[in-house]
Amino acid sequence: MPLVKPQVAPSRQFFTLAFTAASQLYKSTSLADQLERGEIHRGPNHDELLARKKAPLFVRPEPNYPQHVPLYGFEKALLFVGSAIGAYLHPERNEFIVALGESTALPYFLKQLKVQMLNDPVGRQILKERPYITSESLNLAKLKQYPDNTLARAYVDWLEKEGVSPDTREPVRFIDDEELAFIFQRYRQCHDFYHAITGLPIVREGEIALKLFEFLNLKIPFAGLGALFAPIPIKKSQRSRLFNIYYPWALKNSFTCKPLINVYWENILDRDVDQLRHELGIEKPPDMRQLRKAKITTL
Amino acid sequence: MSLRFLSTARTQLADIVIIGGGPAGLTLAAAVKNSPILSSLNCRLVEGGNLIGPLKSFHERPPSNFTNRVVSLTPATISYLSDIGVWKHIKEGRVESYDNIVAWDGVSGAQIDFDGPSLATMCETLNLQSALLARIEELNEETAIMDNTKVENITSDEINGWPVLQLSSGESLKARLLVGCDGYNSPVRKFAQIESRGWPYNRWGIVATLKFKDGEFRHPTGWQRFLPSGPVALLPLPDNWTSLVWSTTPEYADILLKLDDDAFLAMVNAAVKLPVEELGVLYKMAHEDPENLVGEITWRLNVFNEKLRPQETEKYPLELDTIVAKSRAKFPLKMSHADNYVEERVALVGDAAHTTHPLAGQGLNMGQADVKSLVAVLEKSMERGLDIGTKLALEPYFSERYPANHVLLGIVDKLHKIYSTDIAPIVMARSFGVNVLNNVPFVKDYMVSKMGEK
Repeated sequence: MPLVKPQVAPSRQFFTLAFTAASQLYKSTSLADQLERGEIHRGPNHDELLARKKAPLFVRPEPNYPQHVPLYGFEKALLFVGSAIGAYLHPERNEFIVALGESTALPYFLKQLKVQMLNDPVGRQILKERPYITSESLNLAKLKQYPDNTLARAYVDWLEKEGVSPDTREPVRFIDDEELAFIFQRYRQCHDFYHAITGLPIVREGEIALKLFEFLNLKIPFAGLGALFAPIPIKKSQRSRLFNIYYPWALKNSFTCKPLINVYWENILDRDVDQLRHELGIEKPPDMRQLRKAKITTL
Repeated sequence: MSLRFLSTARTQLADIVIIGGGPAGLTLAAAVKNSPILSSLNCRLVEGGNLIGPLKSFHERPPSNFTNRVVSLTPATISYLSDIGVWKHIKEGRVESYDNIVAWDGVSGAQIDFDGPSLATMCETLNLQSALLARIEELNEETAIMDNTKVENITSDEINGWPVLQLSSGESLKARLLVGCDGYNSPVRKFAQIESRGWPYNRWGIVATLKFKDGEFRHPTGWQRFLPSGPVALLPLPDNWTSLVWSTTPEYADILLKLDDDAFLAMVNAAVKLPVEELGVLYKMAHEDPENLVGEITWRLNVFNEKLRPQETEKYPLELDTIVAKSRAKFPLKMSHADNYVEERVALVGDAAHTTHPLAGQGLNMGQADVKSLVAVLEKSMERGLDIGTKLALEPYFSERYPANHVLLGIVDKLHKIYSTDIAPIVMARSFGVNVLNNVPFVKDYMVSKMGEK
């Protein structure tokens, strides 16, 4: 085999020659054999090693649905801690409320909601059709033309009174299961209908009262946390109004009210709102804005 | 005096009388007749039902569909059946041997898979019985089988205490050794006054013969999903057919057996895939509104399948789309173990001595191991010139089989108990255990080697 002499320093040249001679002596034949067997650049268990090589840790899995952000367990825990502190100190900031809602919506609770929906014909219909509430899907302009005292009017009137829009609801991102994410999304989007049917305003007090009602009706842990901790930092007069008037209302109604997740609000917009309340087994609480104006804390 | 004379004149004497023509009884008869040491003994098998006719007709003109009673045979059982010359009579086209077993937790999804050459073989009970009968015929001992003959009474002979059987044919049979292969409610065990201990599982086993949808190939695999109501297993038969063994609560079993074939098939498809909480909804619907059941299950399965990633589809069995009409049947499940297998002139074999939950597919195999052990013990007694009916001669059989059976019964019983709950800490603990077993190679290799032991 002719050797091509490389242009290097003499000492290096000597070393190269010596090395080549040595390898010629001891290795050449076995090297050729190994080369023939394909063992030179890959050891005998090369394939096995390749197969054993696992995917590196911390590769984020593919999302399960378009808005999905898959999180690891520790990230979910951090999300919970961070958003809980944030929501306690700044309940007016939507991102904390949204993140707290999703990080506490453990599959256990959402599965119970799913079972409730599957056991109900309307619930099944909702799961099959996957309605998504936006101002376009509801066609707010059209809703205003409904007769007085219909659900549609109650809803639009409430939206106008409180100055909110159905489009302000954030999409669900951190719940891993696609269907459970939809259920939580549905709860979030229907939240305004709960406001509309109870007439509770979006001030802190009104939200807290509604949270207790939601917790008792839907068993969503985030609502329970709200009902438990949110009354702590508010004014004493507000707190006593909650405890004297609105918490008893929520408790009492939780025994009679049907699961609100199984109400297909979009399909019953033309229903009379009083009759609907009666059918759902829910009574309208006293108007909170009036009580606040009149500074009434007990009935 | 004349009466006594008449009655003894009609009493035949036999060395071994086997009661029960199930797989255990027939295997024992075949093994005794196959043994050069024991074949000279006068051995009779008494069966109350019609045995020879149906088995012969199965052997000569096997039905086109698979029958619904299917058993899982371990390599040890098959090797013994080969040793006594039975396996060559099996219709090999109707048995399926498989290399993969996948078992998973219905609540948490924790999965374990076993992979070894021919871990188990599925075989119809009728196929096995007819092969046993063919072997007995080959040995020219068909006359030893008395079918359509009920045992009306078992008494002790007043002189030497040997058991005397009053048969429905009017004959009576006096036995040197009476072997009870007569199942859970064994009359022989009652005659010997052997106590059997255990408990009902309050579960029913539902069997059916089903077929996977054609079109996709999967290696024959035994699938078993542990639901809190009991495991549902799909065990492979040839040509994409599969045998269902579904253990479930009495209420669910009632609902499932009342469904029509299509709805039942849909329920099986749902039971191997859908989350446990959804199954509860489906049972309720199957009970109250069975017309809409198939549609709802199709919808739920679509939702489920869409969520699966491509690499996850192989973790679940293919869809089932055919059921053999009228192949559904149910039977109660229980654990029982006799205090003793032997008594003076009496031995118990198979279900007469022990019954188990079918989740490990071990019931029949334990009976086969009993037969092997009993025959070896009888051979030894014969060679030593012992009276084969004495307790002294039989006791080695009991001492060999009881501990082994007891361990297996215990393991299966605990598995049933661990898996028949959905309490979160227990689910977490058992899933952790399964994940450890599944990921520690030497433990799994040990388990596979135990399963494949010959």
